[in-house]
Amino acid sequence: MTAMPSRGGRGEKGGRDGKPARKKFFVRRRKVCKFCAEKLEYVDWKDIKLLQSFIPERGKILPRRISGACALHQRKLQTAIKRARSVALLPYATD
Amino acid sequence: MRLYDILVLLTPDLSEEEAAKVTADYRKLLTDGGAEIGRDEPWGRRRLAFPIERRREAYYHLFQVRALPPLVAEVERRLRLSEQVLRHLAVRADEELKRSAKMAERIRIKAAKRPPRPPAIPASPEPAEVAAPATEGGEA
Repeated sequence: MTAMPSRGGRGEKGGRDGKPARKKFFVRRRKVCKFCAEKLEYVDWKDIKLLQSFIPERGKILPRRISGACALHQRKLQTAIKRARSVALLPYATD
Repeated sequence: MRLYDILVLLTPDLSEEEAAKVTADYRKLLTDGGAEIGRDEPWGRRRLAFPIERRREAYYHLFQVRALPPLVAEVERRLRLSEQVLRHLAVRADEELKRSAKMAERIRIKAAKRPPRPPAIPASPEPAEVAAPATEGGEA
């Protein structure tokens, strides 16, 4: 009983104690990879506007779990951001 | 011949004209080496995302060229040696483009292969039956 699968800790308060938990079925919007959706295959390292949308305030690369990008495009995005950083188009870190 | 993106950052100590002159030198070097220049864009004086050699700005210039690898190697060597160049980046652009073209092609083929919709069920005699009462009108 200890190894109860409890996924997505938030928002399932009254889930497990017998009640027909209504809250368990909250709607989570399915994230889709932005690049797949727009059929962009090539992530251009010169397109700073686009890359900037994947750079939070701190200057780090937005993780996949948040951006929803697919593995392929996250990888491309990563190299593009790193290239842009090397020529000071994007910051390595900011605070 | 391969397609390359070459981005050059020049020191802000130069004037506009001097910067233009320096880029012209590189342009000449590229064309003399047998490169075809696709894009040749001065981005002008831009703020750097972080200081490089205590400079906070730089003149950016982008070349997109179709050239042989040894030429690009030579240009890169000179860019590294030059004092006016704060930084540069030369990367291949064709591999990505080729791959994306391939991918687009594959998606298209896949879409074409998938039958648009199961073709309509062989027309049953019903439509003919339905058509008949429709002409009569007030049958209800």
